Amino acid sequence: MFLTRSEYDRGVNTFSPEGRLFQVEYAIEAIKLGSTTIGIKTPEGVIIAVEKRVQSPLLESSSIEKIMEIDSHLGCAMSGLIADARTMIDHARVTAQNHSFTYDEKIKVESVTQAVCDLALRFGESVHDEDAMMSRPFGVALLIAGVDELGPQLFHTDPSGTFVRYNAKAIGSGSEAAQAELQDKWHSKMTLQEAQILTLRVLKQVMEEKLDHNNVQVAQVTPTKGFEILDETKLKSVIDLM
Amino acid sequence: MPDMVSLDRAGPQQRQFNPYSDNGGTILAIAGADFSVIAGDTRQSEGYNIQTRYAPKVFKLTDKAVLAVNGFAADGNMFVKRVRQRLEWYRHAHAKDMPLRAIARLIQTMLYGRRFFPYYVYNILGGIEEDGSGAVYSFDPVGSYERESCRAAGAAQSLVQPFLDNQIYFKNQTAAPGTTHPKHLPLQEVLSLVIDSFTSATERHIEASVGDGLEMYVVLARGSQLQGLENVPNVQEMTTTSDGERIFIIRRELKKD
Amino acid sequence: MAATSVYSSPGFDFSNQLRNNFLTEKGLPLPKATSTGTTIVGCLFEDGIILGADTRATEGPIVADKNCEKIHYITESIRCCGAGTAADTEFVTNFISSNMEMLALTHGRKPRVVTAMTMLKQYLFRYQGHVGAALVLGGVDATGPNLFTIHPHGSTDKLPYVTMGSGSLAAMAVFESGWKANMSREDALQLVKDAISAGIFNDLGSGSNVDACIITANHTEMLRNVEMPNQRVQKEKTYVFRRGTTAWKKENIRDLIVSEDVTPVGTEAMDTS
Repeated sequence: MFLTRSEYDRGVNTFSPEGRLFQVEYAIEAIKLGSTTIGIKTPEGVIIAVEKRVQSPLLESSSIEKIMEIDSHLGCAMSGLIADARTMIDHARVTAQNHSFTYDEKIKVESVTQAVCDLALRFGESVHDEDAMMSRPFGVALLIAGVDELGPQLFHTDPSGTFVRYNAKAIGSGSEAAQAELQDKWHSKMTLQEAQILTLRVLKQVMEEKLDHNNVQVAQVTPTKGFEILDETKLKSVIDLM
Repeated sequence: MPDMVSLDRAGPQQRQFNPYSDNGGTILAIAGADFSVIAGDTRQSEGYNIQTRYAPKVFKLTDKAVLAVNGFAADGNMFVKRVRQRLEWYRHAHAKDMPLRAIARLIQTMLYGRRFFPYYVYNILGGIEEDGSGAVYSFDPVGSYERESCRAAGAAQSLVQPFLDNQIYFKNQTAAPGTTHPKHLPLQEVLSLVIDSFTSATERHIEASVGDGLEMYVVLARGSQLQGLENVPNVQEMTTTSDGERIFIIRRELKKD
Repeated sequence: MAATSVYSSPGFDFSNQLRNNFLTEKGLPLPKATSTGTTIVGCLFEDGIILGADTRATEGPIVADKNCEKIHYITESIRCCGAGTAADTEFVTNFISSNMEMLALTHGRKPRVVTAMTMLKQYLFRYQGHVGAALVLGGVDATGPNLFTIHPHGSTDKLPYVTMGSGSLAAMAVFESGWKANMSREDALQLVKDAISAGIFNDLGSGSNVDACIITANHTEMLRNVEMPNQRVQKEKTYVFRRGTTAWKKENIRDLIVSEDVTPVGTEAMDTS
């Protein structure tokens, strides 16, 4: 008995005969529509950068928030459905706070990533009569950057709840070209500044508009100062260096 | 015919089940520069009766943390069981042993979680901090805690703590002119003080008694010397590797009356 | 015939209970009936009586005396072990001892154990248990060996082997399994030692050493510390403090030699003749 693909892409928790979950795959596709987001790990810290698509000259670019703080030692950049990311980041923040409350120590980057990914698989989960908490997979991918006792780390999560550690990773619409460029340029002894410049250079290559301090956002996580979003002056100076 | 005394004149009476009891015993911990000693007697009593002469009150949690629990034995044993469970969950979730200060905080949250039906126990946590220093944390039954260099708890606390204050913190002792008191004592000295604390408490304390056996755990920091531990009689190593923190146990007999 | 009765109800009078409960509520608790920890025993053997006691005295959970004497002298051939409030046992035995000596002097013969027992129980009954003495009284007199227990309220028992105090159950267990009539002196002494030891090791209220007293028709032998199974171990450290360890706030040295000038006032010297 053969069933067409369309019959399997309705249920979020039904495998196709080929063993695929279409809704999850579609969610991953949704990310490719998102703005380009890049993360680079160096021995000095992790850089994350996003392109902000300023669709209208009337839009206030500062209101586009695609990099968020999870904890003082953890940051997150996203691509895809930004609204979905809010749920995940809320969860990550609660997890991180809960950890420091209970254990008087900062949560590890991998642990917080794991917690977020646990949430990513909650779609279709319902018990007996109760309504399912989530109706569909998250349509967003995250780059979680952080520093813990194992040093600076960068994690990538996707809607399937899979997470992988990267030295440098690009997600979003320009990710293919950007990833190729990162592969070419990244090396293990990069300085933080080199990484800042590289992220912007890569973004510049894949962006349609001309890159300036209004349409990109850069953040970093360092062992000493933790998470910080680069302010306008800092961002401008990096753009100038580039 | 004279009236009979009726019993219901006494008015309402209330009876209550008391889920707690006091099982006596004493625990004690002292932190050194790069080691920690955690000790407890092994008698378990109730009233004037000895329930058993060997019920450990001191437990190895990890390779760098030892927990001593005193008060109501049933609560103590259950509490240690639950702490160990949480440590294992943590190991699985975070791929490492829980650091000592994290265990201390965890114990606080666990104790405070039972704020209105507390574990009737006094906890003393000893071990090695992430920076390699010896540490002692003491707790009250509902989770108030602090890091200290020494602490005694239990039946003979009132006998032992003043002695420790004098010998460890040098309270009421003025240093010889031109000298200062040491911040930390050497291991041999600490072990002697622990033994003397228990033998003396045994001499003068009865009901919530101290006696029968003494178990002293010694936690050595990563890479530190044995500091004479190898010559102590009845010493036994509890750890399997010598490249991390090491835990030893020393068992002694105490008076049995 | 339901009219109010002029008779008081039969039996004990509990009329003070209401008052006592009121006082307790107001924060005046009733004096606690304390049976301070002790193990005391006595038993008959072929030649007389052996009494035994531990030597621990307690104040709440604290050991007040590690080696006190609980076998008290009544007369040369009557002794009494005391448990309970230390002051009461000491006073009451000493008091009865005096009276027994007076009796001996008055009558010119040795008083009997029953006499001591009767005096003790009458005294204790008078104080309704408030004199907290639990006693094992034993001795040999003209009627032969006699052994009694006397409870704080004044009740007595006459038995071939007895125990009292918080360690009484531990000690009685030994007697119940080991006592036989007409035991030899050695066997009986060993049994008493074992009974006291059972109390010392299994009852937290009892401890330290074993005292025993062997009373026969013409000799009394007090075996003080006949067994010492709980000697203190040597301390690991010696605790000697350097001279000058104790701080002081001020130092004030005063000359105790008071110099005095005497100026004679009149001209005539005192008549010392």
